[in-house]
Amino acid sequence: MSGRHKMRGQMSKTCWKSIAVGVICVASLSAHVAAQAGGELKFCLRMEPKTFDPLKVEDEASAAIRYLTGGVLVRVNRQTQELEPELAQSWNISKDGRQITFRLRSGISFSDGTPFAAEDVAYTVQQLMDPALHSATGDAFRSGTGNVESKVISPTQISITFPAPVAGLDRLFDQVAILSERSPKKETAVLGPFIVADYKPGATVLLKRNPNYWKTDGQGRKLPYLDSIRLDIQPNRDVEMLRFKRGELDLINSLDSEYFDKLAATSPQLVHDAGPSLDSEQLWFNEVAKAPIPRYKKNWFRSANFRRAISEAINREDLSRIVFHGHAQPALGPFSPANKFWFNSNLQPQTYSPDAALKALQTDGFRLENGVLKDKDRNEVVFSIVTNAGSKPRERMAVLIQDDLQKIGIHVNVVTLDFPSLIERMTQSFDYEAIILGLTNVDLDPNGEMNVWLSSSENHQWNPQQKVPETSWEAEIDRLMRAQAASTDPRRRKEAFDRVQEIVAEEQPFIFLINKNALSAVSTAVHGAAPVILSPQTFWNADRLTVAAK
Amino acid sequence: MNLWRKLACVILAVVLCASFAANWLAPAGYARQYREATNAGPSRTHWLGTDEIGRDRFARVLYGTRISLLLAPAAALLSTLMAALIGGLAGYLGGVWARMAMAVTDLFLSLPWLFLLITARALMPLNVSPLISVLVTFLLLGLLGWTTAARVLCTTAGSLRSADFVRQARAAGIPGQRLFWIHVMPNLKPVLYAQFWISIPVFILSEANLGILGLGVAEPMPSWGSLLKELEGLVSLGDEPWKFVPLILLVLVVISFQLLLSRHDEVAA
Amino acid sequence: MSLTPSQDQALLSARISVRYAGKQPVLRDVEIEIRRGEVLGLVGQSGSGKSTLAMAILGLLDSKRAQAEGTIAFQNANLLQLSERELRALRGRAVSLVLQSPLASLNPSLKIRTQLKEAWRAHASGTAADCAIAIRASLASVSLPADDEFQRKYPSQMSVGQAQRVLIAMAIMHRPALLIADEATSALDVITQSEILALFRELNRSTGMAILYISHDLASVAGICDRIAILHQGAIVECGTASQIFSHPKHEYTQRLMAALPRILLTNKEPEPKTEAAAAR
Repeated sequence: MSGRHKMRGQMSKTCWKSIAVGVICVASLSAHVAAQAGGELKFCLRMEPKTFDPLKVEDEASAAIRYLTGGVLVRVNRQTQELEPELAQSWNISKDGRQITFRLRSGISFSDGTPFAAEDVAYTVQQLMDPALHSATGDAFRSGTGNVESKVISPTQISITFPAPVAGLDRLFDQVAILSERSPKKETAVLGPFIVADYKPGATVLLKRNPNYWKTDGQGRKLPYLDSIRLDIQPNRDVEMLRFKRGELDLINSLDSEYFDKLAATSPQLVHDAGPSLDSEQLWFNEVAKAPIPRYKKNWFRSANFRRAISEAINREDLSRIVFHGHAQPALGPFSPANKFWFNSNLQPQTYSPDAALKALQTDGFRLENGVLKDKDRNEVVFSIVTNAGSKPRERMAVLIQDDLQKIGIHVNVVTLDFPSLIERMTQSFDYEAIILGLTNVDLDPNGEMNVWLSSSENHQWNPQQKVPETSWEAEIDRLMRAQAASTDPRRRKEAFDRVQEIVAEEQPFIFLINKNALSAVSTAVHGAAPVILSPQTFWNADRLTVAAK
Repeated sequence: MNLWRKLACVILAVVLCASFAANWLAPAGYARQYREATNAGPSRTHWLGTDEIGRDRFARVLYGTRISLLLAPAAALLSTLMAALIGGLAGYLGGVWARMAMAVTDLFLSLPWLFLLITARALMPLNVSPLISVLVTFLLLGLLGWTTAARVLCTTAGSLRSADFVRQARAAGIPGQRLFWIHVMPNLKPVLYAQFWISIPVFILSEANLGILGLGVAEPMPSWGSLLKELEGLVSLGDEPWKFVPLILLVLVVISFQLLLSRHDEVAA
Repeated sequence: MSLTPSQDQALLSARISVRYAGKQPVLRDVEIEIRRGEVLGLVGQSGSGKSTLAMAILGLLDSKRAQAEGTIAFQNANLLQLSERELRALRGRAVSLVLQSPLASLNPSLKIRTQLKEAWRAHASGTAADCAIAIRASLASVSLPADDEFQRKYPSQMSVGQAQRVLIAMAIMHRPALLIADEATSALDVITQSEILALFRELNRSTGMAILYISHDLASVAGICDRIAILHQGAIVECGTASQIFSHPKHEYTQRLMAALPRILLTNKEPEPKTEAAAAR
C-alpha cells in the first residue's frame, strides 16, 4: 500500500497537468450545450455571509458572494494562476512600484444600467483606502503612511499612486470589486456575472444573472449561462453531504478526505481531487525566551539540530496516507508545489529515518537509555503536542507522531484544547511546548505571508514579536522578506523567497507536515466544472457553468 | 426475573474478566499502530478490525472497558452520594438549610461550567499522563453531576420529613442522625438509583466530550467515550457493524447492572 | 387497677397553651391529668387541638412555629423545659406514640425487623441476640407471629391490622409509662378496630401502662377509657369517668356529641362492655 502511495507522491505533478488538459476539453464541449441550458446552480455556504459590501469582506461566505457578483479590473485565473484582464484591458506598473495605470474597457455598464467609467475605479479605491472603513482588502495595499492618489486620465484610463512600493500590486486588484460612483443603488450595482436577488438570513442567498454582464463566450453568446445560483446557508457538513447525495445540491466546494472516500466508494464520478492545495499543516516548538516552560526544554526547542531530528523522525508518508487517505502530500516548506510560480523546486523532500534522527540527537549529547531518550543533563525527553479539539485529522496526526517519536525514545503527551484556549496559550501566555495547526494560504504571493516570517510579527508563531531578531537566520529571513516586498522585479523577488524557503527547510522553525489536497464534489448535472486548488475551487468559472435540467 | 439476573451476572463477569485479561486476549496493546492495516474490518488477527490509525479495536475496547467500567460508576457513586447528602440532608432538615442548599444548587446550575472546566484545564499542566487526566475528569464529573438530583432529593426529603413514619420514628426516640440514614435515605433510593444509573452513561459520554477541553482520557489511551466518538458522523450500521461494539457493550453493561441491583428497590416499592 | 385514682398518682399533669405564630391559640390553658395505669380518652372533633396536645407531650411540636406555654409535669420534670436530648431519651422509652394510619406510619422501604430493631436500639444497648429476643417478645405481646419470615416482611406485605400491631409492638418495646394513641383505630375497619381496642385494653391491664387515647369518635373511646376528657375549640370543656360523661354530660358540646352517637351503638353490643366497666368501677 505504501509502495503505491509513493508512486502517487512522485507522479502528482504530472497527473495534475493531465487533469487540467482534460478539463479544458470538457469546458469547450459544455459551452455548446450551455447556450440553451442555463438553469440554477445550488450549493452551500458554510456560514452566514457577514457582509454584502465587497470592500468589507473578511469571511469565506462573503468572499464567495463577492467573487460571483463583483466585477474586478484584473483576475487571477484560478486554473493557470496567471493574472488576466477583466474590466481593465491592460495595465502597467511604474518602475518604482508605486504607481499602477489601468486601461479600462468601454461600453460596460453596471447591473442597474449605470455606465462604468474610470471615476468608478477612483471612487472604489478612495472608499477602499478610507481608514474609517477598516477594510481587510484595503490593508493589503497599505505599504506606507500617506495618501493613495487616484488620477483619472480619461474615462478609460486611470492611474493610482501609492505612498510606497507595493509588491505584487496588480494581483491585489483581484480582490477589489469595483463600485459605482453614480449609481443610486451603490454597492448593489455590480459588474460581475450575478446580482444578489434575494437574501433570507440564516437560510438562502439567491443570485440571479446580471443582464448587463459584459462578457461573451467564444461564440458571442452572453455570459453567464446560468439563470441563477441558490446558496443555502448550512454549517453542518453531514447535512450538506446528505443533500448533495440526494441531488439537492450541485457541488461541495471543499471536502474532508473521509467524506471524499465515502462518496468516491459509491459514486467516483462525482468527486474531484485537484491535488495538493496551498494549505499546510505544521508542527512547531515554542522558542519564546520568556515562555513558562523548563529551561532545559527551551534549550531543546531552540536547537535546530533537535528540530531537524524531530522532523526526520516523523513519517510524513504515513500522515498523508493514513490520516488523509492519500489526499495529501508530504509538505516541503511554506509553499506547496501547487503554487506554481513561488514554490522553490530545488527543495528536497524531508527524508524519514528514525535512525538518522537518533544519530543527530546523539551528537548533541542525547542518549537512549532503556528506550527512553535523555538529554546531556539526563532529563527525559518528554513534551506535549497541543492541537485544537474537534479536528480529527490533527488529532490523528498527533497520535501518529506520538508513535513515531516513541521509536526514538521521546514520550509525547497529546493534548487537545478548545480553540480559544489554544490561541491564548499560543499568543498570550506562551504556555505550551509544541503545537500542530494548519496554515491557510489564500494568497499565492509571499507578501501574504509577511506576517508569518517577519520576526517582529505577531504571527511569527514560534517566537513572535521579537524586538531584534534573536537568531541570525531569522534576521536573514527578515532581510529577504523585506527585500522581496520592496522589489517589483518578479525574478529578484523569487530569488529572495526561494532563499527564505531554503532557510526554513534548514532551520525547521515550522516543521511542515503535509499539504492537503483540494477535494471537491460536483454533480454530473453541472457542465463545465473544473475544480482547482485555489478558492473558490469549484465555481471559479461560474459564469461558464451550466446545470442540466433534472 | 431470576434468569435475567443470572444472565446479567454472567454478562458482567465476562465483561469484567475480559477487560482484566486484556493483556492476554488482545493481540497487542491499545496503542500499537498497525499502519499497514488501518480501518480494517474484522479478521483473525483483529477481531473487531482496526481503527482509523490501525489500532486493534478489540484491544481498545477491552482496555477502554477497564477505564470506563471502573471510573464511571465510581464517579456516579460520588455524585449520587453528594446529591443524597446535600439534597437529602437539606430537605430533611428543612427551613433555612433547604433554602441554603437550593441556593447553592441553583448557583451550581447557573455557573458557566464550560468556562470553569476550561480554567480547570488551564490549571492542570499540559504534561499529565493520560491516566491522571482521565481520573481528574471523572472526579470533576462526580463533583459536578449532583445538582439536578439534589433538587429532586431536597423536595422528596422535605415531604418525607413530615411523613407519618418519620414522626412515628421520632416519637420512638430514634436520634436525628439515624432517622436520616435509616428512615429517610432508604426512601430516597428510587431517586438515588435513577441518578446513579443515568449518571453512568452520561459520564461515559461526557468524558468523551470533555476531550474538547483537553480533559478526559488522552491519546493513546482508550475509553468507551473515545470509542463511541468513532460513531460520530458517517458510520452506518449496515456497512461496519463491528464499530457498534462499544455502544452495545455500554448498553449491555448498564442494563445488566440495573437488573442486578434493582431487586431490592422493586420489592420495596 | 385504677379504681380509686388520686392526685398523687398523677403520671402526667399538664397545663398548657399552644399557639402557632400569628394565629389563634390551638390549645387554650388546657388542664389535663393522666394517672398511672389509667386509660384517658381525649375526644374532640378534628381541629380541636387533640394532636397538638399529643405532640406537645412528646416534645415534637414544630419549635420554630409553635409556641407552647405552661407546664407538662411528667416523672418529676417539666417536659416543656427539657432539652431535645432529654426529650429524646423519654420518647419511645417513657412516652410512646401510635399514629392513625398504620401503613403510613411504618417506613415502606424497611423490613419490619429493621424498624423494630431501630426502635430497640434507640434506648437499649446489647447484643444482636438481646435485640432479637426483645423483638420477639414485643411481637408476641401484640399477638403477632414472631418468626423470621414475618420479621422479613415489608409493611406493604401486611394487612392493616397487622401493621397497627407492629406499630404498637414498637411503641411498647421499652415498656413506656404512657402510650399516646392518636386516632390509633380510626383508619381501621370495625372488626380490626375492636381487636386493636381489645389489645390496648389488654396491654393496659397486663403492663399497667397508662394510655392517652385520642379520638374524634366517642363510641370507640367509650369502649376502653376509664376517664374521658372532651376537648372543644382548644379547651377542655368536660372531664370525668366514662359513665359520668355518658350518663350526665354537662357541657352543651358533650351533649351534642352524645346526641350525634348512632342509637344503635348505645343499645347494641358495642357499648355493652363500657357500661359494664363503668359499673365495675
